[in-house]
Amino acid sequence: MVDTASASDVTRESGRVGQRRRPFRQRLGRAATPLLWIGPAIALIAVVVLWPVVVMFRTSVQHFSPNGFLLGPAGSKNFKNLFDEPDLPGILERTAVWVVVVVCVTMVLSLGLAQLLNQVFPGRRVTRWALIAPWAASVLMTTLIFRWALDPNSGVINLFLKDIGVLKSFGSNQADWLGRPQAAFVWMMVVAIFVSLPFTTYALLAGLQTIPTELYEAARVDGASTWRTYRSITLPLLRPAFLVAALINVINVFNSFPIIWAMTRGGPGHETATTTVFMFQLKEAYIGESAAMSVINFGLVIVVVLVFLWATRWREQVT
Amino acid sequence: MRRGLVAAVALSAGLAVVLSACSSSKNSSSSGGSGGGAGGNTTLKLVAADYGTGPSNTSQKYWEGIASDFHAANPNITVNVQTINWNDFDNQVKTQVQNKQYPDILEGDFFPDYAQSGLLYPAKDVTSPSTFSNLLPVFAKLNTYNGTQYGMPFTTSARTLFYNKKLFQQAGISSAPQTWADIQTDAAKIKALGKVGFGLPLGPEEAQAESLLWFLGDGGAYQDDSGKWVINSSANVDTQHFLTDFVKSGVTEPNPGTKNRTDLWKQFAQGDIGMINGSPALIPIIQAGGKLTDSDWASVPIAGKSGPLDKTLGVCDNVSVFKTNSSKQAAITKFVDFFYQDKYQTQFVKEYFLLPATNSGIKALSSDPTFGPFLKALPNSVQYPNDPVWTQVKTQIQQTIATSLTQDPKKVLDSIQQTATKGS
Repeated sequence: MVDTASASDVTRESGRVGQRRRPFRQRLGRAATPLLWIGPAIALIAVVVLWPVVVMFRTSVQHFSPNGFLLGPAGSKNFKNLFDEPDLPGILERTAVWVVVVVCVTMVLSLGLAQLLNQVFPGRRVTRWALIAPWAASVLMTTLIFRWALDPNSGVINLFLKDIGVLKSFGSNQADWLGRPQAAFVWMMVVAIFVSLPFTTYALLAGLQTIPTELYEAARVDGASTWRTYRSITLPLLRPAFLVAALINVINVFNSFPIIWAMTRGGPGHETATTTVFMFQLKEAYIGESAAMSVINFGLVIVVVLVFLWATRWREQVT
Repeated sequence: MRRGLVAAVALSAGLAVVLSACSSSKNSSSSGGSGGGAGGNTTLKLVAADYGTGPSNTSQKYWEGIASDFHAANPNITVNVQTINWNDFDNQVKTQVQNKQYPDILEGDFFPDYAQSGLLYPAKDVTSPSTFSNLLPVFAKLNTYNGTQYGMPFTTSARTLFYNKKLFQQAGISSAPQTWADIQTDAAKIKALGKVGFGLPLGPEEAQAESLLWFLGDGGAYQDDSGKWVINSSANVDTQHFLTDFVKSGVTEPNPGTKNRTDLWKQFAQGDIGMINGSPALIPIIQAGGKLTDSDWASVPIAGKSGPLDKTLGVCDNVSVFKTNSSKQAAITKFVDFFYQDKYQTQFVKEYFLLPATNSGIKALSSDPTFGPFLKALPNSVQYPNDPVWTQVKTQIQQTIATSLTQDPKKVLDSIQQTATKGS
């Protein structure tokens, strides 16, 4: 301890001396030293985050051939074409339903799951590990498994439904879950919830574990009911973790692409597409318009996040 | 339409042969190419797409076989072969050309912009008259830039109607379907057996092919003979109405707008589908399926509204020759004439389940039980439009044409027509 203290004194001393004596160039060098450490990170962010954003905005006002040749400026034409798409209102509506339903159901289920995993019971460790599986598996893999499980002729889900008498015959319209837009959309939301649960549950579980046990003891001494304890102690104290998890889910679910793409490709037509998927569908032939959709998506995410932060009084609650 | 076969047959499809070529490792040998002079030894560099599924049937072997035969006949000319798998083909060729490492001969996609840049020999200048006139004229237009034919069709593919003879027999149907009415009644009988009567892949993978085959059936098309877009013609609208009723009658698989060719071809190979439009690429899938023997299925001309069609959808891959060194032109011509021989065309057809690109090649295979049925309509096959806006039109067809099964067909086709006439 003594050694450290004296060493830091010396450093400080020499620092003061140095500041007086060193020429400007050297002082600048010293100031720039931290850049050496954070520089790579900044460069990385600039190249993989900021630059694509710039390119996205630029592309949205340019006219490209489907093969990627730049044909000249497009002005606002890409945006005009995008807003003229007859399917756009339906897609926006569907995106809202997608985000709201998936996030809400995920949060509610995760609250229960987190509570469950926070209890002491035999096999808890295994259960916790098991919950990681859908998280550890690639989303695309999980989605493909569901797609095959829903196969109208031999999917395991259909086999089960047939066994319990819900499904009348294989290969029928009824068995073709992913062929009917509404049914497909519901199934895709199920998959989205399934893959969102682990992260959310763990975030909430971490939150639960930060709640001091004394509070529960005090509540018990005061004779509070279980439900009352949950409402008055658990939920309020869980709020920061809950908000963080919800926000991350909103962003993730909004940007979710592989689930829908692997299961229906947004089809038939654009009837199961969200804005993210629609952007990709457009990209196959209309690069500029697709970039315009990207810009709108980008804006939507920012707006949604800001509204979320404002509505939840984020600053007081989390930081 | 330079992606000809790639888009239509190879990459997008369940063509086992070519599809797994995509995942196979890149086959490339050392690339020669330089050198060559009058009198002395000449070295030619051939770059070709790899149609194989792996080392056992890589196109590298096919071309090296030809090259060594050729070298034996012409000891002072050596041909170096480099094959590139389809996934990387466009990129690698573009890189080679950008770096001015031109191949002498390129087989795969035809790039009109290379003709435009004056990099290519006109086809007539690097073939003997007999070889040139032997090339299927129906594919000439696709290979033409500014009135001159630069590319030469090398391998082709075409569609026929496949049907499951076993199911036909069980359903008590004695003759092959020829008309739309036949298809309706036969499909209903097969449906009664608990199978899918007709496989209709109108999903995004290749809706543009399936739709065209049906349009042709009623004398429709995407473009008329003069190149005018006729997507929303009354014949095409009628066709869509027919398909709507056909699907409603429940004899196809459910929700055809979400079903793709790859999956349906596999189901046909499993014996679960009575009829489906297919190409020779379906044959290896049937063979791999192991459910249908060669006598359990047959393929016949595409059924039209009032009778079997004498045309079909055809696609091709092409050869183009680069102006690398004028001293090589004679050697190149010799080699081109050499590899267009019937035996090499036939070998390629049998190896990869594609079709020949020469008149004599068709003649040589016309009585072949497997390939014969595909060849009748090939010489007057219809190609996808050769127009820059086709990419957009195709995408829109893929994504939206199936919606005409549930919405007003006229409106859907009008919208596609509008995209086509608006231009790219």
